[in-house]
Amino acid sequence: MTKRILETADVTKDYETRTVVTRALDHISFRVESGEFTALAGPSGSGKTTLLNLLGTLDTPTEGQVKIDGIDVSACSERERSELRLRRLGFIFQAYNLVPVLTAAENVEFVLMLQGVSSAERRTRARTVLGDLGLGDLVDTRPTEMSGGQQQRVAVARAIAAEPEIVLADEPTANLDSATAESLLDLMVRMNHERGVTFLFSTHDPRVMKRARRIVQLVDGRIAEDELRDP
Amino acid sequence: MLVHIAARNLSRGWRRSLAVVGSIVIGLAGCMILVGWSRGFAFQMADNAVRSDLATIAIQARGYQANPDPARTLPAPPDEVLALADGRAGVWAAPRLRAEGLVQSARNSSRGAIVGVDPAREPGVSVIAEAIVAGSYLENGTPRGRQLPPVLLGTALAERLRVGLGDKVVLRVPGESGIGAYRVRGLYRTGSSAFDRIHAYVLLEDAMRLLDTPGRVTEIAFFVDRSQDSLALRDQLRAELDLDAFEVLHWSEREPRLAVMIDLMDQMGWILYGFIFVGMAFGIANAILMSVYERMREFGLLRSLGLGSRRLLEMVLLEAVLLTGVGTVLGLVIGWALVTWMGTVGMDLSMFSEGLRRWGIGTTIYPSLTLDDAITPLLLAVGTGLVAGLWPASKAVRLRPAEALRAT
Repeated sequence: MTKRILETADVTKDYETRTVVTRALDHISFRVESGEFTALAGPSGSGKTTLLNLLGTLDTPTEGQVKIDGIDVSACSERERSELRLRRLGFIFQAYNLVPVLTAAENVEFVLMLQGVSSAERRTRARTVLGDLGLGDLVDTRPTEMSGGQQQRVAVARAIAAEPEIVLADEPTANLDSATAESLLDLMVRMNHERGVTFLFSTHDPRVMKRARRIVQLVDGRIAEDELRDP
Repeated sequence: MLVHIAARNLSRGWRRSLAVVGSIVIGLAGCMILVGWSRGFAFQMADNAVRSDLATIAIQARGYQANPDPARTLPAPPDEVLALADGRAGVWAAPRLRAEGLVQSARNSSRGAIVGVDPAREPGVSVIAEAIVAGSYLENGTPRGRQLPPVLLGTALAERLRVGLGDKVVLRVPGESGIGAYRVRGLYRTGSSAFDRIHAYVLLEDAMRLLDTPGRVTEIAFFVDRSQDSLALRDQLRAELDLDAFEVLHWSEREPRLAVMIDLMDQMGWILYGFIFVGMAFGIANAILMSVYERMREFGLLRSLGLGSRRLLEMVLLEAVLLTGVGTVLGLVIGWALVTWMGTVGMDLSMFSEGLRRWGIGTTIYPSLTLDDAITPLLLAVGTGLVAGLWPASKAVRLRPAEALRAT
């Protein structure tokens, strides 16, 4: 049974400089049900990252409401928003995904540490997840010694280990070669199928869109098209 | 893990960290050396004063300190008061009979302090016996016959009187029988030229004869070893004596100006520490602030992962405290080692000997530190690190995660 896990109601986001106000999102109303594998598509500047940031509680809307599993994020304190991110959300960014001074295992363990998982358990979980993703040899490796694809997979491992309900990914394949991008997508699809994790990702990569079961097209901060499809 | 991240972040910018740690180490070690020197000077001044004339504690007749009239002798036989030192470890006592008077030679005369001492006991409380540079110290029971009684003069006084060993001098004190001829038996030189210019030492019995106070003394001088608590001993002695008749005075009460001066030198040390720590605070704040600006995206990432603002604040503060802590511990260790070494070998300042002797300081300074000189800076360092880290930490905390992630 699905539930409405992400929702925006008439959300607007303006960025202001001293002289100019730029509208990044213009009255967006949008929902994601649990278990979806949804792509936010659109050209650069269409508002994909802004929408992801709002849904991920990394930013606040100028107008409108953002809800996560029915909780109005706009009404939450900063501390409550941190707690939401920690317990329910996972993030994969286009680049700079990992804490550079930590090894792959420590990066995965970091979120578990914040969640209060015991030292022994987080060590086991981190190594298991990294092993599952074919990164068993890199547990003690720092990000600077990994390829872009390896770093993205560690970021996925970190997201999986924390067992979030929703993973928000901002252009996750943008810096990857085709083979690595495909393997990362396989991984995300498997997570979605096996664990029921909801994926919402921004992309303009046709390979990613091909795998998505729903594509929401954004143009100039508005939803131009919302298409359900069979991948 | 936050400590882990903080420590690794510091090692990531190791050049910057090294520069900050280096400046803390140099500043703190330098400061400790200055404080050690200042303490060494202060200790030397106090020690010279105590070991030449003041004594650690003096027991006198009530009123003698305010009006040092030789007629105000102790209202008890000296042996009774001397017995108070018996059985106390690290405590020596000696009787003294003192009077202001005039020292005359065939060529010149000078105001002087004439002090009668017991040569058997006096070396326990003063350094005069060790400070003899010509001739010899006084001895009890010297057969006299027609010989003149012996006197010890400071080299500066002997120069002023233009006398040498074997020469005759006349001591005059107020009173009917207050005149006597003495022969210079020895010349002494202490760390204080002012002291050497004034004091003439004679045997206690000769001083009693000169001052016409048979069997009486004006003070019992106590020397208390540094291992003992001299103030506690003073209080004990006060409890054992009739304070209507006696005064028991610590050297700091007899020479309050010297005590204030030493205290002032101590305060100067803390002022120095203050300057060092204010300078350190700016250096640390600058280093951490640069590190914060460089890691905006990292902070954005950490916030997006659920790191709360309080823990982010803790993490940045930890970096500041670690940086300060490492610098401070190293600075203290190096500073302490240098001061200990200097205190062991002594710093020879004989090229400034005349100036130093005028201040009552010897030519060799032994810098020293107390445990407090290490503990207080350590606590101050943690405080400085926290205060210095607050500014950059608050900058990091105020960042909105999305904004931080956009940072380049």
